[in-house]
Amino acid sequence: MDLLPTPEQEEIVTTVRSLLERDFNLNTLAERDGADSVVDRSLWAKCAELGWFGLGMDESLGGVGYTLAEEALLFTEIGAHATPGPFLATVLGARLAALSGAHDIAGAILSGESIVALAEPHTPGAASASPTVSGTFRVTDHGSADLILVMVGTSSALINASDMVAEPMASIDLLVPIAVGTVSDVSPIAGFEENPGLALRANILVAAELAGIATATAEQSTQYAKDREQFGTPIGAFQAVKHRCADMAVRAEAANSLVRYGSLAVLEGLTDANFHAHAARSLAATYAVTNSQINVQNHGGIGFTWEHTAHRYVTRSRVRSQTLGTVQSHLQSLLDQPTPS
Amino acid sequence: MNLELSAEEQEFREEARSWLRDNLPTEERPPEGQEMREFDLAWQRTLFDGGWAGINWPVEYGGRGLTDIQQMIWYEEFAKADPPFTLNNSCTFVGNLHGGPTIIVNGDETQKSHYLPRILKGEDVWCQGFSEPGAGSDLASLNTKAVIDGDELVVTGQKTWTSYAHVADVQELLVRTDPDAPKHKGITWVICDMRTPGIEIREIQTMSHVTDFCEVFYDEVRIPLTNVVGGLNNGWRTAMSTLSFERGTAFMADQVELAATVENLIEEARVRTGPDGRRPAIADDEIARRLATVRSEVAALRAMTITGISRNARTGVPGPEGSIVRLFHGELHQRVYQLALEIIGSDSLRLTPVDGDGVWTGPYLQSFAYTIGGGTTDIQRNIVGERVLGLPRA
Repeated sequence: MDLLPTPEQEEIVTTVRSLLERDFNLNTLAERDGADSVVDRSLWAKCAELGWFGLGMDESLGGVGYTLAEEALLFTEIGAHATPGPFLATVLGARLAALSGAHDIAGAILSGESIVALAEPHTPGAASASPTVSGTFRVTDHGSADLILVMVGTSSALINASDMVAEPMASIDLLVPIAVGTVSDVSPIAGFEENPGLALRANILVAAELAGIATATAEQSTQYAKDREQFGTPIGAFQAVKHRCADMAVRAEAANSLVRYGSLAVLEGLTDANFHAHAARSLAATYAVTNSQINVQNHGGIGFTWEHTAHRYVTRSRVRSQTLGTVQSHLQSLLDQPTPS
Repeated sequence: MNLELSAEEQEFREEARSWLRDNLPTEERPPEGQEMREFDLAWQRTLFDGGWAGINWPVEYGGRGLTDIQQMIWYEEFAKADPPFTLNNSCTFVGNLHGGPTIIVNGDETQKSHYLPRILKGEDVWCQGFSEPGAGSDLASLNTKAVIDGDELVVTGQKTWTSYAHVADVQELLVRTDPDAPKHKGITWVICDMRTPGIEIREIQTMSHVTDFCEVFYDEVRIPLTNVVGGLNNGWRTAMSTLSFERGTAFMADQVELAATVENLIEEARVRTGPDGRRPAIADDEIARRLATVRSEVAALRAMTITGISRNARTGVPGPEGSIVRLFHGELHQRVYQLALEIIGSDSLRLTPVDGDGVWTGPYLQSFAYTIGGGTTDIQRNIVGERVLGLPRA
């Protein structure tokens, strides 16, 4: 039993981190604020080349051959850098296509050629993904999408983007384009009536991204508390600030530990995998939102500016905490689980 | 990263489970006095005879030399066995989890071979003499003085918040041996025999009605210099090794038990009538949300404990990160019992013992200690801020 990354996993994290820092710089990406797509095709192809989209997929399915644990580490870094883009829909879409035997489509997604948007019910209960796709959906990253991954509970489907009529809405996160789209009775290109495994992985990956937000905001506040001086001393010397930073570090440690545990529970097929996935998803969302909000406060005036990245984490945590369920829905699912073994 | 247990660990779990099935006491723990002491020591002896004492202690001092993961497995099996008492609610706590581990790290061979087996066999009860009336959070300002006289230390002063002093044989005691040195540099960690002349013990009543809390007075108490552990005037460092340990894995048993407590509370919420007077408590949205939240938090606590064990296994010593777990645990423990009192409705007015089956109000009153003892949560936040995050001191 061990919950720290192995040296090989550390290496993956380091590689991911250096690319995100260099090529997904938030100040550069700000040029795309409010656009209906944030995907830079050449950059997307580079991520594909590095194997990010099939990191946790078997080589027999066209993936890299690592596991959900490494995939979760990737998503934690994506969260930590507030990296925009349809990473989740891409990873899940490629998996769905490959598992359902649509290898050409899986290949096109894995190579970065096909861009996948994510659709989930706009209002609960009023949409379906199987046997045909119908209803009103909230769609993220629809702008340049070729395909749309539709997820409704434990059923999922891939449809062509042209099968949806999407009406963009002003998104709280200017780097996560959101639209409301309608689909009527479209047969999926690939899909599953019932695939709880995909939904389970989705919960872990969203939780991992949120844990990354909780971690990055804790680190950003700690760094600022060391650098910023007032009353002739770094503000981190004051208990009011120091204790907020300590609490943020506690939340980050809790979220990361639980996400790692959850990813392994799913990976190893433990009977309490669902328990841990819902626990990780709800806890990481709560802690990401909390840390990102306190992070603005810790930065004072500069934290309130558009130029500073603090607001990116606030809005990203809000979007992701409502991606594939809410804190409330995951808490309810958690309470419905039997006592873990 | 993996959650797999090795074949050896799996076997250990099964061994623990079957031993507990046959050997777990069925009678409740006497709540106080000599009866309590005899009960705790007899259980410690039973553990020793069964091979379950000092699971992660070195073999040469009577331990089993196993890993922290195995220690955690033992606690988990103990909690699952539905024991009539909680594991750490014992006067053997300080010996097993403070004094003993400090001697393992800092003691000399004579001290190790004398004291360690006695702790494991249930022959000595230990208590802790750290806090003083004027030295609480600012522990290093302690001024119980110790003057060297020949081959002895002569101790005069007062300690407080000393659990189990009234039934203890031995005390881990911090004294000031150099009043002129900077405050962290003049402290010595010494083993004090509680039967030495000049010691007076007074019990302190607590808000939870637990009677093991004491203050201890020293009037020219003579302690042999050979009882000094970790070197004269090096007591601060010696004490910190204990506290790091305490903030690391010493509360693992409580953490494991808290998970079981939350499951029991969920069951209570299913069978008890909720705030609307008609439906079960769990049907109330706010109660359901808070129950699910603490359920996720105890899952996180367990994962954080394993993260801590993984970190210790890499570095070999418990680091300041232990304060993160301790801080999270103490506050979570309180939230669980605060929620419990809301769920049990009018039964929240009925006083129960701290320990036993289906008790809630006693543990609720006791839960206030969880954010004070072993360093208040304010101090834990300072440690996380300064020693883990590297923020400047005030």
